[in-house]
Amino acid sequence: MLALIIRRLLTAIPTLFGIILASFFLMRAAPGGPFDGERPLPPDVQEALRASYGLDRPLWEQAWIYVSRLLRGDFGPSLVYRDFTVTELVAQGLPISLTLGGLAIALALLIGITAGLFAAVSAGKAADKSIMMLATIATALPTFVTGPALALFFGLWLGLLPVSGRGDGIAWLVMPVVALALPVSGAIAKLTRAGLATVLKQDHIRTARARGLSEKKILFKHGLRPALVPVASYLGPAAAGLLTGAVVVETVFGLPGLGRYFVQGALNRDYPLVLGVVTLYAGLIILFNLFADLIYGWLDPRMREE
Amino acid sequence: MRSLLHPNHWPLWIVIMLVAAALLLPFVIPWTYDQIDWDAVRAPAFTGSHLLGTDEIGRDRLARLAAGTRITIMVAIAAALVSLVVGIAWGATAGWVGGKIDEAMMRFVDALYALPFMFIVILLMVIFGRSILLVFVGIGLVEWLTMARVVRGQVMALKQRPFILAAEAAGTKPLTIVIKHILPNIAGVALAYLMLTVPQVVMVESFLSFLGLGVQEPLTSLGILVKEGADDMDVTPLGLLLPGGALVLILVCLTIEGERLRDKYS
Amino acid sequence: MSLYSLRNLAIEIADQQLVEGVSLEVEAGQCTAIIGASGSGKSLTCLTPFGLNSGQASGEMLLDGIDLSTTSAEEMRKARSQLTGFIFQQPLTALTPHLTVGAQLKEAAAQGDIVLDRADIIQKLERVGLSRADEKLDQFPHRLSGGERQRVLIAAAIAHRPKLLIADEPTSALDASLRHEIMCLLDDLRAEHGLGMLLVSHDIASVEGHADQLVVMDQGAMVESGPVAKVIANPKQDYTRRLIAATPRLSESAPVLPKTGKTMLETKEVCVEFPKPGWRRGKISAIQDANISVHQGEALAIVGGSGSGKSTLGRAIAGIGPLTSGSIEWEREKLPKRRSRNLAMRASIQPVFQDPIASLDPQWKVSNIVAEPLKNFQPEMLQTDRQIRVRNALNEVGLDEGYLNRNPASLSGGQAQRVAIARAIVAEPDLLVLDEATSALDPLVGAEILKLLAQLQCDKRLSIIFITHDIASARRLCHRIVVLDKGHIVDEGNMGDILKNPQSEITKKLIAVS
Repeated sequence: MLALIIRRLLTAIPTLFGIILASFFLMRAAPGGPFDGERPLPPDVQEALRASYGLDRPLWEQAWIYVSRLLRGDFGPSLVYRDFTVTELVAQGLPISLTLGGLAIALALLIGITAGLFAAVSAGKAADKSIMMLATIATALPTFVTGPALALFFGLWLGLLPVSGRGDGIAWLVMPVVALALPVSGAIAKLTRAGLATVLKQDHIRTARARGLSEKKILFKHGLRPALVPVASYLGPAAAGLLTGAVVVETVFGLPGLGRYFVQGALNRDYPLVLGVVTLYAGLIILFNLFADLIYGWLDPRMREE
Repeated sequence: MRSLLHPNHWPLWIVIMLVAAALLLPFVIPWTYDQIDWDAVRAPAFTGSHLLGTDEIGRDRLARLAAGTRITIMVAIAAALVSLVVGIAWGATAGWVGGKIDEAMMRFVDALYALPFMFIVILLMVIFGRSILLVFVGIGLVEWLTMARVVRGQVMALKQRPFILAAEAAGTKPLTIVIKHILPNIAGVALAYLMLTVPQVVMVESFLSFLGLGVQEPLTSLGILVKEGADDMDVTPLGLLLPGGALVLILVCLTIEGERLRDKYS
Repeated sequence: MSLYSLRNLAIEIADQQLVEGVSLEVEAGQCTAIIGASGSGKSLTCLTPFGLNSGQASGEMLLDGIDLSTTSAEEMRKARSQLTGFIFQQPLTALTPHLTVGAQLKEAAAQGDIVLDRADIIQKLERVGLSRADEKLDQFPHRLSGGERQRVLIAAAIAHRPKLLIADEPTSALDASLRHEIMCLLDDLRAEHGLGMLLVSHDIASVEGHADQLVVMDQGAMVESGPVAKVIANPKQDYTRRLIAATPRLSESAPVLPKTGKTMLETKEVCVEFPKPGWRRGKISAIQDANISVHQGEALAIVGGSGSGKSTLGRAIAGIGPLTSGSIEWEREKLPKRRSRNLAMRASIQPVFQDPIASLDPQWKVSNIVAEPLKNFQPEMLQTDRQIRVRNALNEVGLDEGYLNRNPASLSGGQAQRVAIARAIVAEPDLLVLDEATSALDPLVGAEILKLLAQLQCDKRLSIIFITHDIASARRLCHRIVVLDKGHIVDEGNMGDILKNPQSEITKKLIAVS
């Protein structure tokens, strides 16, 4: 198990490093950036940039400055939100995005696995078919459609939930989290059901049945863990999808999360902000993938060796 | 392929009819997607010749819906084909050559798989500008990873099958084996995943357009229409629900069809 | 009263009558074997009365006095947990991958209300012949080999002290060298615990020394039954007679084989190594210093268990597998390694594989499949001539023109293998390398293919390398035999000599199993 973790980290660290370096060089090379004078910046900002990026030093030293800053958590100043550094913006926005994402994945797992279990147990019957159709539809619902639609229905027409903004309490969380969680829960439901359907046909289930074990015991003790393996594999891409979806949800519902800063930064060519967020997200996802691998290893001991 | 008329393929036919309608519409209604009717701005449905009303600038909603559908599908198919070509080339090479090269190639895919590709595409768009070509290529490059993995798995499995060894013993050259024995046997799976890639691409393109980073004015796409509709949804909910509904319909139908094909060929 | 009896058993699945009119009895301490080809319904007969598949069983089914036809699903489950133990064919997938060996054994015993502590478990594992049981009981199943897992499964099947043991092809998926050992283990356990055993097999030879009663099934019906020795010595039904005749046994008379001529193939110190998978360093040695020779018109048997390297050697000779060092000479000329072989060299040596359907491209038609070697080796040949040659090749293997436009998916195993043989002989090779060419076929079909090969060998003065784990089959065809174990040649000589005086342990084991 330890070997697996170490091996994963060994692949992850160069990847992350590569992204950071690529970010730096892209930023230096990109047109319309802060360094080629295309956009006139006020002199005090220019001076601050010069100082912090060491623009009069050789290139490799600049790269070193950038990377070492990054590793210390300093992403540089934001070009658009003049009074803030990127780090400060991240500190403001990250907790909101993480809350959204964390709640969404918890909700998706809860709904998805339960629905998938239910469908698998009533395989072939009407309950199974309708749950699976709902799940397929759910996976095809983009967050930028469901978000506004939910806001329209529950916000404007029924007036039950706030349409935008981060308020007190938890009412402001409901619609964004649901919009985020829907497609992921559909995917998890399908994976769970497919996984269970496959596992229940396998030989070791027949062995358990031949031994006279009760169906309940067979399902939960012998069947569930291998059946959830595809779900564990999916957690990595699911996290990536959630971060992406969070961008939309924050934009639609006007939440000051990291995703919204990212979009604003992208539209306004605020490179330090954009690059900082990309790097941060990449790091988060790599971490999450590692976590997903650990879960996979617990579910299926064969993975622990490879 | 021969039995496309079989009732099992109903999702595909829904999409085909939708696209056909979008293609034929310009010949039926008098408005184009960017034509402004100064007399009817924010008009509700059935105002004069505007069957679905007009948007906040006075453009006919139905025409824009049809145009958006056309562009969305066109981008989706083109990008899906890009991902098909790149994915098959990468996956077939890795699977056929095998050994350490295959391991290296697939670790590359694994490393990329975990990244928030969307963000990187956005990054590239921000840096290099928003050309429609970049949209095609960028989106296609996001989706090739799955195709590469699937193709590589199939090729590796096929390589082990005795009929490949028999072809070698019969004197067939390796390139001929790949073209005549391997490719025909992965065509089914590749097609299934192509069908599944299209909705993914539609999602990516719509997402980018929604954020203002994809297809640019005066062109429109379903993503842009959803964004415009969302901005105005308190006034005209139809502006959101129509393109949103069309988008979801396309996505759901293509996904159902793609999964059916995938299950058939696995 | 017998421990277990079936009378007029009929089984239906989805409105299809799959089994009809089967009657048998199992006495405590004795073994009743059901023999039949695949699809004959023997597994259904064993498993359906106990509710282990979706079939509906009707007829009289009595187990230890309990009438199985009237029990509910819940009572059936209890009966399974107390009275029966099951052993299935494929040990590699029969254990739950995320539970340790010891935990699964404990669970099995608990079904019979028996509590096992650690020492008990170790003792049970050692009884079934598992080495280092104290380590293995804490391991997950994937760390054990197939043979070891089957031993664990046997221990688990009797841990709750059942009265009836049902074994569905318990040794078919195991390495040939292990089969005899496992069958003897089952016999010992049966005697020790007074178990009744219902054994399913497709191979009469493996059942001969171990069963008391024999039931022969074909296409869902019972063909014949009676004491084993009697049925084999005096089969009453035609099917049984054919089945016994088709199954190669060492007790039958030696075949008359054609005369042989000069040396055609000679290998000198052939070694084959594979790099270790993944990023590990080092190599795995599959074949070491193999020296064999094949003469014109001769059939040479290369025999061994799985992992012995026999397929690897065959592929190296046929030029479709790697060759690390040593030389292979054909008619005194050294053959280059795989990729450098030219067409003329390839045309002389052709392979036939174990899985007939997998050896044909599913997207191609039979006519193209058989024509492929001709297109490569004789490209100047006119299409009309080629078609004639293809037709002739198919006729020689017993297939008519109707097969030209068929797809491999529509062929049976036997037909597909005939097509594969037609492809192999269409360019008139001098040597055929047959890699377990009859092992995946039903006994009757396999016997036919063997006859076909003998005939081709006679008519065309073909040399043959016959790779197999079944010595009795090899004996029907081959003049000489080479035995491989873990990559080394351990026995070599004339078929008759080696069978009378086997030198190595592995040869003795392989003979015992035939």
